Amino acid sequence: MAMDGDTEENSRRVQARFVTKLNPPFKVPATSIAIPSNLTRLGLSTIVNNLLQAENPDWEPLPFDFLIDGELVRMSLEKFLLAKGISAEKILEIEYIKAVVPRKEEEPSIHDDWVSAVDGSSPGFVLTGCYDGLGRVWKAAGECTHILEGHSGAITSASIINPEGEEYVTVATASKDQTVRLWKFSTEEPVNSRLKIRPFKILRGHKASVQSVSAQTSGDMVCSGGWDCTISLWQTNEINTEGDLVPIKKKKTNYQAGESQLEGEAVSTLVGHTQCVSSVKWPQRDTIYSASWDHSIRRWDVETGKNLLDIFCGKSLNCLDLGGESSMLIVAGGSDPILRIWDPRKPGTSAPVFQFSSHTSWISACKWHDKSWFHLVSASYDGKVMLWDLRTAWPLAVIDSHKDKVLCADWWKGGSIVSGGVDSKLRISSGISI
Amino acid sequence: MVRAGKEKEKESSVVKSEKLKMKKTKDLKPLETQLQDQDTPNISDSDSDSDSDSDYDVDFSEDDGSESEDYESLRDSETGRSDSSQDEGDVDTGDNDGLANDHSNEEQSESSDVHPGVEESDSSEDEVAPRNTIGDVPLEWYQDEKHIGYDITGKKIKKKEREDKLQSFLASADDSKNWRKINDEYNDEVVELRKEETKLIRRMLAGKAPHADFDPYAPYVDWFKWDDAKHPLSNAPEPKRRFIPSKWEHKKVVAYRRAIRKGLIKFDKPKEEPPVYLLWGDESNSTEKSGHLAYIPAPKPKLPGHEESYNPSSEYIPTQEEINSYQLMYEEDRPKFIPKSFTSMRNIPAYENAVKESFERCLDLYLCPRVRKKRINIDPESLKPKLPSRKDLRPYPTSCYLEYRGHTDAVLSVSVEPSGQWIASGSMDGTVRVWEVETGRCLRVWNVDEAVKCVAWNPVRELPILAAAVGPDVFILNTGLGNEEEQERIRELINVKTTTSPDDSDNTASIASWHQDDKHSGIRLRHFKSVSSVEWHRKGDYLSTVMPADILFKHHLAIVVHQISKKLTQRIPFKLHGLPVTSVFHPTRSIFFIATKKNVRVYELVKQKLIKKLETGLREVSSIAIHPAGDNVIVGSREGKLCWFDMDLSSQPYRTLKCHPKDITSVAFHRSYPLFASCSDDCTAYVFHGTVYSDLNQNPLIVPLEILRGHKSSNGRGVMDCKFHPRQPWLFTAGADSVIKLYCH
Repeated sequence: MAMDGDTEENSRRVQARFVTKLNPPFKVPATSIAIPSNLTRLGLSTIVNNLLQAENPDWEPLPFDFLIDGELVRMSLEKFLLAKGISAEKILEIEYIKAVVPRKEEEPSIHDDWVSAVDGSSPGFVLTGCYDGLGRVWKAAGECTHILEGHSGAITSASIINPEGEEYVTVATASKDQTVRLWKFSTEEPVNSRLKIRPFKILRGHKASVQSVSAQTSGDMVCSGGWDCTISLWQTNEINTEGDLVPIKKKKTNYQAGESQLEGEAVSTLVGHTQCVSSVKWPQRDTIYSASWDHSIRRWDVETGKNLLDIFCGKSLNCLDLGGESSMLIVAGGSDPILRIWDPRKPGTSAPVFQFSSHTSWISACKWHDKSWFHLVSASYDGKVMLWDLRTAWPLAVIDSHKDKVLCADWWKGGSIVSGGVDSKLRISSGISI
Repeated sequence: MVRAGKEKEKESSVVKSEKLKMKKTKDLKPLETQLQDQDTPNISDSDSDSDSDSDYDVDFSEDDGSESEDYESLRDSETGRSDSSQDEGDVDTGDNDGLANDHSNEEQSESSDVHPGVEESDSSEDEVAPRNTIGDVPLEWYQDEKHIGYDITGKKIKKKEREDKLQSFLASADDSKNWRKINDEYNDEVVELRKEETKLIRRMLAGKAPHADFDPYAPYVDWFKWDDAKHPLSNAPEPKRRFIPSKWEHKKVVAYRRAIRKGLIKFDKPKEEPPVYLLWGDESNSTEKSGHLAYIPAPKPKLPGHEESYNPSSEYIPTQEEINSYQLMYEEDRPKFIPKSFTSMRNIPAYENAVKESFERCLDLYLCPRVRKKRINIDPESLKPKLPSRKDLRPYPTSCYLEYRGHTDAVLSVSVEPSGQWIASGSMDGTVRVWEVETGRCLRVWNVDEAVKCVAWNPVRELPILAAAVGPDVFILNTGLGNEEEQERIRELINVKTTTSPDDSDNTASIASWHQDDKHSGIRLRHFKSVSSVEWHRKGDYLSTVMPADILFKHHLAIVVHQISKKLTQRIPFKLHGLPVTSVFHPTRSIFFIATKKNVRVYELVKQKLIKKLETGLREVSSIAIHPAGDNVIVGSREGKLCWFDMDLSSQPYRTLKCHPKDITSVAFHRSYPLFASCSDDCTAYVFHGTVYSDLNQNPLIVPLEILRGHKSSNGRGVMDCKFHPRQPWLFTAGADSVIKLYCH
């Protein structure tokens, strides 16, 4: 009773127990302790670090993030409990995770023009597309190994077709010159200078700028969407399947020499959008998702070419990605500062399940983390890259190293964010622990 | 003789009296009232109709005993009858007072056996005539006679021997039945009242009906069936009085009327004056009470407060410094009254300003403006037209997210590629630029060294070429967009093989000269005067250019039409009136709009004639835009007014919107959304909703939606041009601050 009286005087206290799913060095004893209720995330982090230090004297303090009932604490504990209507009487179970913040900003990789596309799906390298029409392969920050040369217009989208490729890696780039080009190069061989690579296949067929390209999971096919309002599907294999029927103009000899190229035609075309198809995604073998400036997100069945799902957003969309829980959630951003997330499994409604609105301008890119259900990254014309967690409405981290509009962003190696923008720099923010 | 005459007289009078009696019985009053009329002498009821009453004559002669006795001097005509009653009479005590009480008991017990006897006697009594036949004559006529009268046969009836008083008294004292014996002087005999008769008398005295079995309150049996009578009860004609206005009523009405006129009769209740009223209350709303039309209550002076008290609290009394500080104030600001403290009321001096202030008050009242301003009490909100909510009219451009920066001077014109991927802009800095809409990247720059007044994309998507008005030239520029086949076509199209120059001999053929321009890889169309606006025909082959009007200039050549494919220039086949400002092609039909400074003329191109003249009523038209359906036109003017013409309605504007404080520089319709916009030198652009209904009966709906701000003023110029995105509800504005802004929904 006397204790209670004391605590009343200083500040209210709550009984809390810290739990975690992290591995032993991060575990704290599972005893409940009384902590002042006016603590914020920093205070809680200090407590956990102190507890860890008590067990392990040479512990280096780490930032932590805290979850109560599956929601991240973003205000003082007292306010959080009040807002959520959680009783302060019983022992509070606070789960802690490592804070998701980039801890290291690496050297910018300088391009000659605006960086319009980036793909970090391969852990070995980052593929970027640039407005000078060149694709670039970066082994690390500032370390360009290959230059993909051949487009006559700005590259709008780049996609790595087989990330865990055997010897050679195949990539696809879409450009404003109305073509999609496929490239093949080896990442194994040690490269001293920038190796210039010619495309091994040119996919022609779009009647306007191609805005987006995405590869099937198996890598056999790519789809692309563009300003001609269609989505085209292409074969990626080196030998033309119809090779027996259609005479190949130039036989492929050596792609590094770049003398001859294959020409490809669209296998099929999905028609339905009424305006520019700004983003396509091919997450499963037989479904393609597309976002368009006609304010809709559509799901297509590849076999039949039918449109299975329509989500109308009201704003023209620039980017789309699938991920989250069982990779079914759709995230899309467009011509307004709101990042929206839909759950297409939710019946009877096309209202977004989450809306994140901390950006101040158009959203140019959004990507789910491929391992975590909760984390995603978004890039905006306001020059900011934001890290989001579904469990809180505020961004986990804001990367504002870009000077101007950010045009593209992606995850790389699970713990880094690569982003490129109008300042012609590819920024890599690493050290994110998820 | 005398005697015989007397007799005759008597007889005649008897007959008379009999007749009188008969008359009286006709209007027979109820018995009880008759009995109460005791004052009337000689009332004898001989009712022929009623059985029992007929024989009871009541005589009120005074000679025998007191009145009370006479009352009871009822005489029985049949002495023999009295036997039955006499037997019972023994039981009765001779007490008059007790009669009523006792009788009620007897009545009940004896009524059953008495009544049959009464009825017998009644039937026999009818035949018994009175013994005396003298009739109703005064008995004193026979006072001195030996007889009392005559019987029915005419024989004299002898008077009986009179007993002397003493004897009769003794006899009456002995006789217990004496009280019911009545001396009948008329017949000169003593009648003894039977018991039933006494009962009758008692009942009559009590005011009841004489017979016990008579029910005065018997229920009324309405034997007449009132309902369903088809015919009136009477066949008699309607009496006259029913339909003649009653004279009596008329008189009464006249009397009332006179009384009302004189004010003797008042209808409305006198108003109750409240016993107390608020002396210091606000009288502003008491005008209704006063009854005067122009009653203005005199302004009330301020109420005295604590400080006006003769001995206010010390906090009210200003210190000397405060009083000194009052002197520094202006006369008007100075307090009128400085509180002072006095020990008693007697010490208060006379108020020095009393005369002055009352004079001023009189002046106030006198000079008070006695004119009431008639102000109509209308809610200003109700005067606003009912417009749909802006929320329901979404989407429309609201906020600026993208800016296109690169020009170094005011951007004069902007044009959007038909698919909406690119925009082109022309600027004062002498460059034409092409931008990517999505990212704001400047794709291409042409440096033409002179202010670019107007740029226009070719409306055909497959022909991505630009027309730019630069000084006296119009450049046809190849943007380099599109694939190789398209580029091939364009190169072919904009290749001028033979340079034509204006030829003075043939005025119509060569108004402008076509040159190949190698520097910009396009065509240079040289006019003889600076071109202000360029407009493509929807098919992308024809191009109209306007050279700003000048009175001195031969203005029939102010508007020329070029054909790209044939490299031909022709002047328009109409006679021009007024000074042309801009020209527009109809979006679907072969109609050509020419906006002059005052009017808009609409020409049919095929028939080559004027079909309509829209009278703007504006001082100077600056811009015009056609609704994509083609029947509505908006016109912007230099005085900031925007006119909407519905060409189906009239040549007068359907609506004139006064919104901009400065010149409207450009107006624009959206191609698919029901939106239109105007931009002005006041650095704003207004976005309106404008639905045109396909139903001809419904007038267009115009709702102002949004004011788009953000541009900065530069050299007194604001927003120079605005264009809608062809597919999105977005608006591009070109500012004099060298920035192009994109407003998104």
